[in-house]
Amino acid sequence: MIDADHILTARGLDKSFGRGPGRVDVLRGLDVTVRRGEFLAVMGPSGCGKSTLLHVLGLITPADGGELAVDGQAVGMGAAQRHALRRDVFGFVFQRFNLLGVLTAADNVAISLRARGLRADGRVDELFEAMGVADVARRKPSQMSMGQQQRVAVVRALAHRPKIVLADEPTGNLDSANSNALLDLFRRINRDHQQTIVMITHSAEAAAAADRVVHMKDGRILETSR
Amino acid sequence: MMYLPLANILHHKLRSFLAAMGIGIGICMLITLTGLARGSLNEVADRWESVNADLIVLPSGWGEQVSTKSGSGLSDGFAGVIARKFADQVESIVPVFLWRISLAGQDQMTAGIDAADWATLTGDRPLTAGRMCDPDGRASQWLAGKILSAPAEGEQILDLSAADLGHPDHNCLELVIDERLAKAGGYRVGQIVRAANHDWRIVGIAPEGVITRVFMPRRTAQFLFASGDVSRSTLMFVKLKPGAGDLGVIARRMRDQTKLDVLAVAEYRGMLTRSFGIMFVYVNMVNVVALIIAFLFIMVILYTMVLQRTRDIAILKANGASNGFLIRQVVAESILLTAMGVGLGIALSFLSAWIIQAYRPLLTVVIEPERIGWAVAAAGVGALASSLYPAWRATRVDMAAALSLE
Ligand SMILES: Nc1ncnc2c1ncn2[C@@H]1O[C@H](COP(=O)(O)OP(=O)(O)OP(=O)(O)O)[C@@H](O)[C@H]1O
Ligand SMILES: [Mg+2]
Repeated sequence: MIDADHILTARGLDKSFGRGPGRVDVLRGLDVTVRRGEFLAVMGPSGCGKSTLLHVLGLITPADGGELAVDGQAVGMGAAQRHALRRDVFGFVFQRFNLLGVLTAADNVAISLRARGLRADGRVDELFEAMGVADVARRKPSQMSMGQQQRVAVVRALAHRPKIVLADEPTGNLDSANSNALLDLFRRINRDHQQTIVMITHSAEAAAAADRVVHMKDGRILETSR
Repeated sequence: MMYLPLANILHHKLRSFLAAMGIGIGICMLITLTGLARGSLNEVADRWESVNADLIVLPSGWGEQVSTKSGSGLSDGFAGVIARKFADQVESIVPVFLWRISLAGQDQMTAGIDAADWATLTGDRPLTAGRMCDPDGRASQWLAGKILSAPAEGEQILDLSAADLGHPDHNCLELVIDERLAKAGGYRVGQIVRAANHDWRIVGIAPEGVITRVFMPRRTAQFLFASGDVSRSTLMFVKLKPGAGDLGVIARRMRDQTKLDVLAVAEYRGMLTRSFGIMFVYVNMVNVVALIIAFLFIMVILYTMVLQRTRDIAILKANGASNGFLIRQVVAESILLTAMGVGLGIALSFLSAWIIQAYRPLLTVVIEPERIGWAVAAAGVGALASSLYPAWRATRVDMAAALSLE
């Protein structure tokens, strides 16, 4: 299953929540592969399990069944391996709740670098500039708009140059100008640094920025366009 | 960047302050209670050590309990025996009759002494006001004469009414008190105070640091508190001549030849501390309980903070934070809160020491650097211990659940 060309490979992923009659089967034998350096967009109706898929791929939560390989490693249940991959391979933009409320935007970015044993460098300032949030870097989340918070989350997701960026509706709260700036940045890092991007989106416009778009339905990846 | 634990503390200022205050009160109790117990004990010991004598002679078997003894002890006749047998070594012998009387709302150890012995007893420290009680010994002579001429034992008690004792011609009811008691009770020279069923006149004020806070004529003390037996005192101080020889050797010889207990004045502090050892057990128990409560409080606060911040913890974890990193954040927060608490506690200790001494001038609170060191060490251990469980809980946070909760 491990293939040098594929940075992410998932086979037969199952994931359900709850038990008994209230049980929801969210992922049902889902298969997906992402090529190294690919920019993939994932679309699908609300509640179909896109965020859940992202959490499983990003080792935020384990699947109930199936196989997963990340960056050439078969992923098991071992906490140490999962932690190391999360730390070294991934950068996340979550759909909501990205920032620590007690820290400023700059410190939110700095602490995730520090947690990885890294230091803020010039790249962080560039990212703040590119995302148009340099002027709010000293503010706390409560003093920022949703869109600004989301863009700071993008800065944080990219600051440590992860091999894979997992972004859950990063343009969800953005106007078209900011949305375009974000997509430009994603394309640029994808092209210039071969960073892989998996982006969930509801917007066809945003999806158009990706190399490939997949759709999710009934707990599976349904079709591939382009 | 702003340190996360500090940012958390500053973000919840009131809660952090209350947590620190919980620790602070525990620390303050530890420092103040210990300081009060040790301070008051050391103050007594210092006063006894200020006596310008070398040995204490007591009835056989009283040695270890010297600090708790009062009343009739050994016959005054021993003064002559010791003076004769140790003529080469002994310079002077001072018999003292100890008794507790209640003044300024508190029991005061009172020394019945002969005015002539004041110099030996205190190193000749001058009174700060007034004069010695029964300075020329007239009252003592009158009292002794009355008792010794009484036809039968017991009759002298009937014969000597309170009015007689207090008669201006032979005033037996005179007190000298120390400055601290004068301040605590608001007493002045010339004032009449009621104690032990008699009206006493305060005739002098002694400087702080003399052996007891209250002095009265020794004969009076013997007559009143030893049922008229004017032949016994509680103990005797013995001052040796310069170059008399080794203190231990002389004490041993004196013990052998008199069959009395003989201790060095310098041993008093240790005996006092041992006699009140149980008090330290009690104080330490109270301290331990106070600290445990304070740290349970910190633990609950940290624990609720961890429960409230599962989302923050999940975000950190998703962003590469290891378990060690998460644990360090919680432990650091505990240490910061505790450090604030220790600072508050030390400040509170000085404040409460000041308040105690302002409102209870007879008590002594000493805040020793060593006690502060112990408090800081105990707080450090407590900070670590109380943060371990909350820190462990932080590592167990379910990221997916925390990040998908509304
Ligand atoms: N922690 C959870 N516990 C129980 N059910 C959950 C949990 N997380 C997700 N679900 C359920 O799983 C299903 C998929 O949720 P998910 O968030 O993955 O959908 P989504 O495709 O991201 O939707 P949206 O486009 O609205 O963000 C939903 O029915 C949701 O209610
Ligand atoms: Mg979603």
